[in-house]
Amino acid sequence: MPWELKPDRPIYAQLIEQLQLMVIAGIYPPGAKLPSVRELAAEAAVNPNTMQRALAKLEEDGLLFSQRTSGRFVTEDAGQIMQTKQNLAEGLVRDFLRSMNRLGYDAQGAVSLLDRVTKEEEQNG
Amino acid sequence: MDSILECRNLTKYFPGCLALNAVNLSVPKGKIVGLLGPNGSGKTTLIKLINGLLTPDGGELTVRGNKPGVETKKIVSYLPERTYLSDWMDVRTAIDFFGDFYEDFNKAKAYDMLQRLHINPNSRLKTLSKGTKEKVQLILVMSREAQLYVLDEPIGGVDPAARDYILDTILSNYSENASLLLSTHLITDVEKILDEVIFINRGSVVLTSSVDEIREREGKSVDAMFREVFKC
Amino acid sequence: MLGRLMKYEIRATERIFLPLYGLILAFALVNRLLRAFNPEANDWGNLPVNLSAFLNGVTMTVYVLLVVALFVVTFVVTIQRFQKNLLGDEGYLMFTLPVKAHAHIDCRMIVTLMWTVLSLIVSALSIFILSVDESNMRTFSEWCLSMRREFAEHGASSWLILFECVVLLAVSILAGTLQLYAAIAVGNRSARHRQLAACGAYIGFGIVEQIITFGGFNALNGISPDSWLRAWLGGVARSLPNAALLEIALGLFILYCALFGLAFYALTNYLLSRKLNLE
Repeated sequence: MPWELKPDRPIYAQLIEQLQLMVIAGIYPPGAKLPSVRELAAEAAVNPNTMQRALAKLEEDGLLFSQRTSGRFVTEDAGQIMQTKQNLAEGLVRDFLRSMNRLGYDAQGAVSLLDRVTKEEEQNG
Repeated sequence: MDSILECRNLTKYFPGCLALNAVNLSVPKGKIVGLLGPNGSGKTTLIKLINGLLTPDGGELTVRGNKPGVETKKIVSYLPERTYLSDWMDVRTAIDFFGDFYEDFNKAKAYDMLQRLHINPNSRLKTLSKGTKEKVQLILVMSREAQLYVLDEPIGGVDPAARDYILDTILSNYSENASLLLSTHLITDVEKILDEVIFINRGSVVLTSSVDEIREREGKSVDAMFREVFKC
Repeated sequence: MLGRLMKYEIRATERIFLPLYGLILAFALVNRLLRAFNPEANDWGNLPVNLSAFLNGVTMTVYVLLVVALFVVTFVVTIQRFQKNLLGDEGYLMFTLPVKAHAHIDCRMIVTLMWTVLSLIVSALSIFILSVDESNMRTFSEWCLSMRREFAEHGASSWLILFECVVLLAVSILAGTLQLYAAIAVGNRSARHRQLAACGAYIGFGIVEQIITFGGFNALNGISPDSWLRAWLGGVARSLPNAALLEIALGLFILYCALFGLAFYALTNYLLSRKLNLE
């Protein structure tokens, strides 16, 4: 099943995000061995060089590490994963605030709206 | 040598038309490259030149340092747009044929792919539908362990499921030592598997770039950019 | 590589020729057997009334048609294998094989030679089957004996002449085939009128051949071939027996055919390796 990739953003950036999400979601838990570059590329239906680039970046960031003969693994460092999760979450929040801004809400207005909607959701179960 | 294909000032004339005008390009090894351009842009001419089906009028074309000839044909695997297999053969004979002439042909791989597509090796090519014949040709071409694969419009006129299968075959066949050049109109489907694209128009190279560079720079897909560049 | 090309070329064409050969020989046999039961009926004058005579007429007609068909088919297949299978869509397969262009020419011309010779042999054999009877057999065995006598008498000379005849047959078939190939290759250069251009080229070649041949003889001021031979060989010719003259004449014919053949081969090879343009 090819991954969801948008057409107007660089592929490797999207691959990085997708891989991060998969690690955070536990699809590739800490210490797990990742499939080979070719397998991942085939699964995502992307060029292996692009996938390699994404994986290399994640290695650079510390989310993944590779052992020369055995392959690539997710870091065992829970802190690293937590950091990635936080970064992604922060990114989402910033995006949200930016979009709200464009609609005309300032930060305060956005937060109150957030509260209201959250309460509604809870009431509706 | 790091590039598999090199063109320097490559020129080709036809009566009344300059098909390729001093084209310079280079395909490094381990890359999947898309050759994109409208009809009559010179794509097919370039592909025929690579395969030794035409001779250049000017400039130079080399595959791994050799001019197109017997040596290059041993390492180039070509899938043309048309059906080029003899009707009288059955699939098994076609496989034997490829095995006889190409040392790098992997029979086991070919039979495996045939089996996965439920194509009976004993069927006569004459009795197969056009789509199935095209798949057989693709299988034959991709079962070679070549250094350069040249695919001319491999997914045109094929249903979406088959398209996925073809792209999947290309990806699973990928090797760092080989390169693949594919020419197509259907850019959206193919973009994600390409390393680089070469835009060609009226016999000249208009643009050479990696897919991600285009997306980053222009904020749009290669397909969208193609439409812009080649707007009618 | 040439062997492999030929293997597939033969497999592609045998499905046409072998059944035809089988049918021809079968019909010749059937005809012969029918005749054995109805000796008077093989008379084209009066229309025979009884059934076996009728069958005889039918099978004879079919046989003749088959033999005619065989020669037409041999000619057509020779052209098709070059025009459609080498310069058509299949050319994309053929010319991307790791073999030199001339290998394709060699392959097709040798296989054509093979089928043409086989066709001739089968036709001769079928005529033999058709007409064999006691008196024919006697004449035939007498002819064989006289041939044996000739060979015993003239020894090496007869064998040489026989050999030269065979070579001449082969060379002229090859040269004729190459002439067709060259014409097709020339015709292929024209984008829109391939067949017409090919016919034109073929006729053109024929004309050039005639000019060279008669031009050549005219240059000798209309001397007839054998007096020319004698003049050319000078005093030696006078002392040579006729057999030797025949050998030399045959040799010259072979050379003549071979030269034209080579010219057509070179032209075809040049066109296929330098000026190839598949559509």
